[in-house]
Amino acid sequence: MPEVERLERLAERLRAVEPYVPPPGAKIRGWNLVLAAVEQSNTARLRVHPIRRLVLATLAAAVLLVAGAVAASADSLPDSVFYPIKGVLENTRGALTFGASDRLAYHLDLARTRLTEAQAMFARHRVDLADQALSALDDQLNDAALVIQAEKQNDPTVGAAMENRLRQAIATHDAQLAGLQGQVTNPTALNAIMQARDRAAQALQTAGKNGKSNGNPGASPNGTGQGNGAENSPRPTPKH
Amino acid sequence: MRPLGKAASDDDRPLIERVRKGDQDAVRALYERYFDRIYNYVYARLGRAQDAEDLAIDTMTRGLTRLDLFQDQGVAFSSWIYRIAHNATIDHYRRHGKVVLVSLEHAPALESADPSELAVEQLSNADLHAAIRDLTDEQQQVLILRFFQDLTAAQVASIMGKSVGAVQALQHRALGSLERALQGRAVN
Repeated sequence: MPEVERLERLAERLRAVEPYVPPPGAKIRGWNLVLAAVEQSNTARLRVHPIRRLVLATLAAAVLLVAGAVAASADSLPDSVFYPIKGVLENTRGALTFGASDRLAYHLDLARTRLTEAQAMFARHRVDLADQALSALDDQLNDAALVIQAEKQNDPTVGAAMENRLRQAIATHDAQLAGLQGQVTNPTALNAIMQARDRAAQALQTAGKNGKSNGNPGASPNGTGQGNGAENSPRPTPKH
Repeated sequence: MRPLGKAASDDDRPLIERVRKGDQDAVRALYERYFDRIYNYVYARLGRAQDAEDLAIDTMTRGLTRLDLFQDQGVAFSSWIYRIAHNATIDHYRRHGKVVLVSLEHAPALESADPSELAVEQLSNADLHAAIRDLTDEQQQVLILRFFQDLTAAQVASIMGKSVGAVQALQHRALGSLERALQGRAVN
């Protein structure tokens, strides 16, 4: 008999095999177990609804995104896309800084940051951004001077100590700016550095004056000296 | 041959949607549609009623509680549930060991046995089942699905993840191997 015919006969014989049928008890037991599992699964699924899961996932993604952007902006420079976030964070920090001594520390810290940014921008031949950073540096020093001026009216001894801190900071900055001035050849850059040094010196003079007689519109209107640098400065953070 | 009920098909989708919405009647309908078939498939593979019962229940439980995974598979529910049953069978073999797993595909026919003399009509169902369990995993699967479950080659191809042509070739080799296995049993 040909193979095809033999195999076809065998296939027909297989088709005729009686199927195994589960005993009724097995089917009932199975149904009870399946039903219990399905109900338990539905309960668990309801506990974390898909929409709720979506909301949670979106929130988690947003938190990660914001945290990542904040972390990336911490050391960003004026030519970075994250730099505006840095400005927002600095302003927020300023709004949450109270007390003359802390405000002075805040302005001096930002002044240091602006100087570092200016140096980096000069190194990258971004004179325009370096100029903005130097202007922002002077704004911070001026704000610091106003804080000192106001504090002198409240407590001359403390005010004098703060003025000394400003003087030291400006001296350090001036030394760095002098070094920078010796490195650059671009006339625009040279001019920006010289202007920054002049304005720093003026800020020190402002700090030495009496708060009521300086006539500076940036001083705190209530004479408490709690002027917010972010509000007083024309450029609290450099924009590009 | 006593039918195993409605053949597996793609028209399970409305039922599945109802199951997802928590409709218990739909769960029952799918259970009724597939439990006997899965039990039959697993029994044919294992040859033990108690194991078949446990694995069939386990398969139906997994299938009906993990429909979220089924959506991602891109296959018919029937194919998916058979795959679960197949995987459960393989797991069972791994845990308890398989008695025979010797391929007879290329085994030479016994010289003393004339294939044409094999009276297939006189073979008992028990002989056929026992001989099938001597075949390779894929050969068992294709014979059981094609002839015991009465599925089309296309449905079997979907379950096994093969082309229709590959299933037909596998079926031909499986029948040849089964014939040799039955001859061997007849000689012994």
